[in-house]
Amino acid sequence: MVREKHCFSFLLWLLVVFFVLCWGAGEAIAVEKVAYRLKWLINASTAGDVFALEGGFFSQAELEVEVKAGGPERDAIRELEMGYAQFGVASSDQVIRAVAKGAEVMVLAQLFQINPLQWIYRSDAIVLSQIQDLAGKTVGITYGGNDETIMRALLAIGGLDENKVRLAGVRYDYTAFFQKRIPIWPVYRNTQGIILADKLKTGGEKAGFFNPSQFGVRFVANSVVTSKKLVDKRPELVARFTQALLNGWKAAMEPVNEMDVVLALAKHDRDTPTEIVQRQLAATRKMIQPDPKTPLGKIDTKAWLQTEQIMVQQKLISAPVRILKHLTTGDNEM
Amino acid sequence: MLPRRIYQFLIIYVLGIGLLFVIKLVLNLSDYVIPGPLSVWHTGREEWYRYAADVMDTFGVAVVGQVISIFMAVAVGVAGRKATWFGSFIKVAAYNVQAYPIVAIAPILFILLGDGFVTRLFIAAMICYFPLLLSVIGIMSEPVSDIEHFYRVTGRLRWQLEIKIRAFENLYKLTTVISGSATLAMAGTIVAEFIAANAGIGYSIRIALYQSDLSKILVALFVIGITLSIYQGFLEVLGKGVKKAWTGGGS
Repeated sequence: MVREKHCFSFLLWLLVVFFVLCWGAGEAIAVEKVAYRLKWLINASTAGDVFALEGGFFSQAELEVEVKAGGPERDAIRELEMGYAQFGVASSDQVIRAVAKGAEVMVLAQLFQINPLQWIYRSDAIVLSQIQDLAGKTVGITYGGNDETIMRALLAIGGLDENKVRLAGVRYDYTAFFQKRIPIWPVYRNTQGIILADKLKTGGEKAGFFNPSQFGVRFVANSVVTSKKLVDKRPELVARFTQALLNGWKAAMEPVNEMDVVLALAKHDRDTPTEIVQRQLAATRKMIQPDPKTPLGKIDTKAWLQTEQIMVQQKLISAPVRILKHLTTGDNEM
Repeated sequence: MLPRRIYQFLIIYVLGIGLLFVIKLVLNLSDYVIPGPLSVWHTGREEWYRYAADVMDTFGVAVVGQVISIFMAVAVGVAGRKATWFGSFIKVAAYNVQAYPIVAIAPILFILLGDGFVTRLFIAAMICYFPLLLSVIGIMSEPVSDIEHFYRVTGRLRWQLEIKIRAFENLYKLTTVISGSATLAMAGTIVAEFIAANAGIGYSIRIALYQSDLSKILVALFVIGITLSIYQGFLEVLGKGVKKAWTGGGS
């Protein structure tokens, strides 16, 4: 009788301990919800962002991430400050402008090592082997956009006076390019560039791409950002998110995963044919990780400093903003 | 009347911008999200002249577009006022077409007609034409029985007299809708410029958005608002003048 009583008490204690452990484990594996605002609509340039979600990389890191498409009316940095998103994608000029106006933003990773912004032209009609070849030509730019900044930097580097080149404003449709009124047109090489090159080929014309980085203009493109507040208060969350995202990008850039990535993108972009997406992914790979030895997401501090310098020279910011303080890299030295 | 319009606008603008600054203070937002008063002031000093020129450019297009649409609306409205097949077709077409969002139609027009003045004018005219047309049709198709009856019974009611009677008796409605269409024309022109033009204040606002410069947008809104307030005040004075002239100076 006494033995049975001891047995029963022991089992009762075991049960209590078991429930306490389960409850503790439940707390430890609670999934954290965060919002991630992209810079633009979902396309091949966001392959890794989408694959990190669809491929389960975020969920493996116990994160429930809402990946929100961006657009011209969206600003990830503003959303970070307002609390509508915890992570975002912004271009370097956006980050530098925001920092110049007191925003506390931190760069976690630089997705594109080569800026995809280039200019498409008909290579059988125009020769553009050096910056000076732009003289006398009409070049399309988006006034207020980073392509305007990059083009002006190119002209300055090439010693070409701006009044020797006719800069013309562009909009979302390509009519002026097709009509040859603006024969040199800004595009994202890895996405629109492929579609436009195909259209030129259909018309019996050859496409060439004028790449600013070949002439020494390294203007940093899309980077992953968050608020300084989150980095200070929740460094483990920031680390988990960044690692999961970069794992997603790494997997997305593997050719062996190409069809899975295409299917993941197709859930959000139903208009672009599979064959085009595959070619866009191939072009994107070369820009995300041009050198296999360079870790994916590495922050190119020299390029950031050059970007800052260009913005000061063009009076887009009144003074340098000490951008290195806002880059989360171990190498914050000049 | 004009000074009242202006200070009413200033009150609304100051309240709106004041609310923004309160939100900035309460939520401790940086100048990137909501610029501070000094930033807005400095931007205003730097940009007011350029934005004033842009607003006058847009305003010119909007006014010409509005005038064209008034003439067209009166002509078509008078022709379509009868309960005939043509009259009902005009009404149905007007209701349907004015439902089309300008943001969808403007890019198509810019592709077909180019970036220039003509496209912006066409959009400005189109924006205010349909509401004007529907008002004119409504006014012109409703008889003023107690005045028209005598002329009708004596066989002296010609169509010109019928229109004059109905226009006179509904002068207040007409001037109100014309004054309101001024705002429509301006707003529509700005939206069209924002989407696809290469001139005007809408285009400048688009550039400011690309630069994430909210100060410039606030300055642009101020210049737009003050210009519209002055114009609407002027239209009210003009409307009163027309009424006075038509009534022979009587009340």
